[in-house]
Amino acid sequence: MSRWLERFRPYLMVAPAIIVFVLFFIYPIGYMIYLSFHEWDFISPDKQFVGLDNFAGLSEHPEFLKSLENTFVFTFFSVGITTVLALLLALWINRPTRFYGFVQGAVFSPHIISLVSIAMLWMWLMDPQYGLLNWGLEMFGLPQSEWLASPETALYSIILVAIWKSIGFNTLIIIAGLQSIPPHLYEAAALDQSSRFTSFAKITFPMISPTLFFLIIMNLIGSFQVFETIDIMTQGGPLQSTNTLVYYIYEYGFRFFQLGYASSAGVILLIVLSILTVLYFFLMSRRVHYQ
Amino acid sequence: MRNYPLAFAIASSAALILGGCTNESEESAAQSTPSGDGPVEIEFWYAFGDKIGENNEALVEEFNASQDEIVVNAHYQGDYADLHSQTQASVAAGNAPHVTLNEIASMGAFAEAGMTEDLTPYIENDDVDLDDFVEGLMGNSYVNDGIYGLPYLRSTPILYLNKTLLEEEGLDPEGPQTWEEFEQYSETLSNDEGRVGITLPVNVWFYEAFVKQSGGSVLNEDETEASFNEAPGVEAVDYIKGMYDSGSIKVPTGDEAGQIALQDFSNQQSAMAFSSTADLTNYMSIAEENGFELNTAFMPKNEQFGTPTGGANLVMISSHPEEEKTAAWEFIKWMTEPEQTITASQNTGYLPMRQSAIESDEMQALYEEVPQFKVAVDQLEYAGPRPLNANYSEAQNILRDAITSALIQEDVTTQEALDEATERINGLLN
Repeated sequence: MSRWLERFRPYLMVAPAIIVFVLFFIYPIGYMIYLSFHEWDFISPDKQFVGLDNFAGLSEHPEFLKSLENTFVFTFFSVGITTVLALLLALWINRPTRFYGFVQGAVFSPHIISLVSIAMLWMWLMDPQYGLLNWGLEMFGLPQSEWLASPETALYSIILVAIWKSIGFNTLIIIAGLQSIPPHLYEAAALDQSSRFTSFAKITFPMISPTLFFLIIMNLIGSFQVFETIDIMTQGGPLQSTNTLVYYIYEYGFRFFQLGYASSAGVILLIVLSILTVLYFFLMSRRVHYQ
Repeated sequence: MRNYPLAFAIASSAALILGGCTNESEESAAQSTPSGDGPVEIEFWYAFGDKIGENNEALVEEFNASQDEIVVNAHYQGDYADLHSQTQASVAAGNAPHVTLNEIASMGAFAEAGMTEDLTPYIENDDVDLDDFVEGLMGNSYVNDGIYGLPYLRSTPILYLNKTLLEEEGLDPEGPQTWEEFEQYSETLSNDEGRVGITLPVNVWFYEAFVKQSGGSVLNEDETEASFNEAPGVEAVDYIKGMYDSGSIKVPTGDEAGQIALQDFSNQQSAMAFSSTADLTNYMSIAEENGFELNTAFMPKNEQFGTPTGGANLVMISSHPEEEKTAAWEFIKWMTEPEQTITASQNTGYLPMRQSAIESDEMQALYEEVPQFKVAVDQLEYAGPRPLNANYSEAQNILRDAITSALIQEDVTTQEALDEATERINGLLN
């Protein structure tokens, strides 16, 4: 009895976690893959097997291709700009005075506000007629923008909100990375009379590269799943200019009730995210400098 | 063995988690099985808050107080799209409401998926006088010859006018009768300070009206093919485009377009607006707050007057035991009776559903006192159903984008945009 228990105890210990994981992650993923080969309207008892038809449909559906393109544009700009700005900001405000402590807190604050509130707030600011942003532009004699109302600017307006939301968190993580760099490295560099740029390129950057890498991958994964801002601010419009992959899945699954078709788009997202994750673990072990 | 209690605790808590689920589903199953004693409880889901929501809650309360066999619980579920997806998901999950609303263009989607119940046997059994229902409102009730819903909160789009501005510009405050007059009104009413004749968001419902006014239809009669790329549909877009290009109307795009149109009308930045008759009470209070007089009129005619109807029908979800369906039917029957449709119409501005309600002293007195209420009822003569095809909601998105791109993108002609949309929508309809 006791030996039996000894052997099974580890399994019992991890059982709750595994059960939750299987129920809420593995099963849904499996079911989604299963559905992606079927046609189903959510209700009818029989799911009709259609093979790869759903995927073929995706490949020639202009809205899907547009949403894929938008997702990549969104990800490229929001992750790229967030990372660069956060790095610059972190280098600038990483000082131990009270003022900079306040600035650190201030830039972090958007992170703790609900994304829904942020989206509503920015819709207000970006109102083409009565918004504060256009008022500001006008005051400086600059041309006004249509913001979310024009297919040319809507996606970039959403990117702006995403950057504003995530920059504080990124900055804080980078600051933590900066502060963990042992000061003796800089002391040695100072003895060698190295320039500030050389210190940055040879010490700071390599030392925080694991942090940056972690942030970039996490941001990539996060921005591929952008949904709330789209749902609240534009619903994918105008003219599909802000339709993204997750919003597309939502629209086809829960507005048009084509669960099979939506699932096949979900599989595409799963593949993209899996590639990113694998890349993360693979590169993590070779490319990034660890002390 | 020292850790035995711990392992046991974990194992049993895991069992509890799983057990918890089963218990819950047993409980809800028990709830929905009919029991001999006590009133039958049924769920009613509706869309929209404010005056419309208050009206729903008040009617449900009145129904509950009027008898002791059935208790109805009413729940707000957002706008039509939210309500539809919640309902759809709840049917799949097995905890669907008994009575809900279908936006009229979604009647087909729900009926054909087997989610809603054919009400014909109930109607025949109780001898409900179908002839008393306004004919123009019944079009969306029939799916494959069965009656799947009864009209409840129904509307048509009408033309709202800022009477004060019209008089200032020396225009007839009764409003424009024809497209030609409408164009002249828009030109006269727009000025250099940014005021336009009308702020007109791209809206498929209005577009259905414009096409009908030009003597065409958005889909062919069997709804197997799109027909908006024929002359009337193209003419409708070009008419709007002409006014848009000359600057006498504004076409907002984006998610907030409807909101912008309302803002402009409120701030007197636009002098006219198309909107549902359901917004009448709201528009009247806006006009009062902003110090202008409000008038309502038919949507102007091109070849003829014409408008789709809108709003929602009451439907019954089919996946419930017989006893509860009977209770649901009792509720639907009560809600569509003349007295209730009068109450709902007075509270909101929605149309009265029944001929006898329109002719009733109460409604006639209201029309006398507030003639703006009457326009939508008179316009019903020219009203027709909306398409019922199950894929029309997806088709509407494609159509909306095609109209938008024809209007705002300079390198796209109307015919090109509509032809492309036609081809894609034809693929959906079959």
